[in-house]
Amino acid sequence: MEFGTSGMLNEDGIHVDMDRLKKGEVNLGTSIMAITFKDGVILGADSRTTTGAYIANRVTDKLTQVHDTIWCCRSGSAADTQAVADIVQYQLAMYGTMNGKPPTTQTAAAMFQELCYENKDRLSAGLIIAGWDERHGGQVYSIPAGGSLHKQAYSIGGSGSTYIYGYCDANWKEGMEESQAVDFVKGALQEAIKWDGSSGGVIRMVVLTKKGANRHLYLPDSDYKIRHQ
Amino acid sequence: MPGFDFSNHTRNAALHARGVPLPKATSTGTTIVGCIFEGGVVIAADTRATSGPIVADKNCEKLHYIAPQIWCAGAGTAADTEFTTALISSQLELHALSTGRKPRVVTCMTMLKQHLFRYQGHIGAYLVVAGVDPTGVGLFTVHAHGSTDKLPYVTMGSGSLAAMSVFETQWKSQMTEQEAIDLASNAIQAGIFNDLGSGSNVDVAIITKDKTTLKRGYVKPNERSKKQKSYVFKRGTTAVLNEKVITKQEISKYVTVHELEGGEPALAEKMDIDV
Amino acid sequence: MAAMFSQNPLMNGPNYSFNQGPSTASAGNKEHSFYPYTDNGGSTLAISGSDFTIIAGDTRSTSGYNINTRYSPKVFKIGGTTASQDDATLVLSVVGFAADGEALKERLDAIVKMYRYQHGKPMSVKACAQRLSTILYGKRFFPYYVTAILGGLDEEGKGAVYSYDPVGSYEREQCRAAGAAASLIMPFLDNQVNYKNQYIPDSGVGHELKERERIPLGRNEVEDLVKDAFDSAVERHIEVGDGLQMLIITKNGIEEIYKPLKKD
Repeated sequence: MEFGTSGMLNEDGIHVDMDRLKKGEVNLGTSIMAITFKDGVILGADSRTTTGAYIANRVTDKLTQVHDTIWCCRSGSAADTQAVADIVQYQLAMYGTMNGKPPTTQTAAAMFQELCYENKDRLSAGLIIAGWDERHGGQVYSIPAGGSLHKQAYSIGGSGSTYIYGYCDANWKEGMEESQAVDFVKGALQEAIKWDGSSGGVIRMVVLTKKGANRHLYLPDSDYKIRHQ
Repeated sequence: MPGFDFSNHTRNAALHARGVPLPKATSTGTTIVGCIFEGGVVIAADTRATSGPIVADKNCEKLHYIAPQIWCAGAGTAADTEFTTALISSQLELHALSTGRKPRVVTCMTMLKQHLFRYQGHIGAYLVVAGVDPTGVGLFTVHAHGSTDKLPYVTMGSGSLAAMSVFETQWKSQMTEQEAIDLASNAIQAGIFNDLGSGSNVDVAIITKDKTTLKRGYVKPNERSKKQKSYVFKRGTTAVLNEKVITKQEISKYVTVHELEGGEPALAEKMDIDV
Repeated sequence: MAAMFSQNPLMNGPNYSFNQGPSTASAGNKEHSFYPYTDNGGSTLAISGSDFTIIAGDTRSTSGYNINTRYSPKVFKIGGTTASQDDATLVLSVVGFAADGEALKERLDAIVKMYRYQHGKPMSVKACAQRLSTILYGKRFFPYYVTAILGGLDEEGKGAVYSYDPVGSYEREQCRAAGAAASLIMPFLDNQVNYKNQYIPDSGVGHELKERERIPLGRNEVEDLVKDAFDSAVERHIEVGDGLQMLIITKNGIEEIYKPLKKD
């Protein structure tokens, strides 16, 4: 094996195969979405994490809590999105205790944007922030790769989302009832999982309303029909 | 200044540009696994260390101590797993001392992921973190880039696919301690026999609420067979071109000399020698 | 022996196949091209005696960290008149790229068979050696990616071993190791077959010391050396293992011995 002069030389002077490290990076080749409905918001995601062709985790939880009723959907690099979510979780906890009242979804989204925009050259992260607060009710914000921030009625993301733009456009309705909204998210993610090889496993959902956070879990064994949690 | 020393970077970059080959780190091929059971967690590893296609160590230890009830199995660059676990072990001990509480597995996992994320994957440590703390049983994987997973059974390293196939076919919830040990051991053996980067023996560590048991060489399915011939050389076979005697007085100017008692040979580590 | 024998993973030459094909970590565009070779690992070994030749090879076939099969022979009988090759007198071993090895074996076998049919006598090992060199050089600019060793008995009935590089440079030798673990086995052979670096104790001072005299080794002794060589190679090289196949050529024919090796 020849050590070419074009190879990477690391700071420590030890030759590390950069191809391998890049290959080793854990990715969330993903289908994620969040929608607003009559009483709040619903976040949804598949559960597949991959390293290359290998499924490193088939029951991943890509829905991450950053405050009581503010959650986010993560796509892109697992390491980057976990690090960002951990920082925002800490900042929101501080914000909540300092002000004696919970932060708004907009505040949380702004915190995420700050990190994603200022470190755009170092991060590969596509996030959807969704939350419920007393002032604005349910809200959905999307932060795609460059670090821009978009407030939306609903948002889809990850590699699997390309397959469901048509589905969502055709079936989306403003101000749905909870059960109707759950069926919409589930139907969309089922299609994304069906067509996208990088998405799969179970469907996880979180319903955020005045009453708090409520988790849903649907397994492929029962064709995603039965709620298990 | 704490941390890594980069002072040789410019020199090494210049040498590299002139085509000087770079030293190769010992790594990478490994099978490590972890599996929880009723009241505890078991982790296991093979014992082969490689440098390219050459076996560098036939019986190395890949299970690292973090705290009495938290252990870590390491894959990737040998030096990185060794130093990263030692560093976090030290910080966790100080943390435990200052808080007056037993260290937690999540704390350990968080410290590891934050350390590894800071180095953006350049520290090639792929770890399985396992332990029991006052909150219960913990089992995580930590990748070199800083991502973590929490699962009831995990595998890592080049033999992870072979090992995972065993877990995905034989794992069940609510296993007994012995069932979990056997399953982990079988998963490692799948790696040993089907992955060239893994080999030799199975090491196992069992962690429960009350105690941690490290079983070095739990299974040894690859003992060397007896040699057909003896390869002892007659004394004097090697040519001696010149001879110089260094006395004890002379050498004691540079190093400390201890007399051994009872004519027992001092051995740091036992080696197999032809007799 | 020409340059392509270097099996040291750190040195020059294409030899190690953990990532198939030439990997250039170029910063710019990535070039995609078909790379026709694979290194399937494994090792071979041949030693000639006064009235016999032993050619051996492990039976593991690898690619990267994977085992393709635990039984894929690398040593073949050449030029018999039947499918079973019972009356063959020559043995060829090939290590490197298994597909090229197979192709080379088939081609040489056909040629030696034709020679026997046309001349009414088996081909001599010397003639076959020269022919094999020609075959290899015929593909000078798209070589058979193998190191071959040819074994048999010469016109005087003495053991003969011919070793090759991938493009046909060859020479007759006492013993030769080839393949992944060649650099591990060859020094052992130098020491134990040709008694290199062994001196007779107390036979002189300094440079006057006399070298240990070479004596022709017996068949059993050589068999033991081959087994020990492979057992040791298995301990330290990850691409060697699973099984050892030995073909022993004597005037009475070719005998085959199989010995299991470690499978990790």
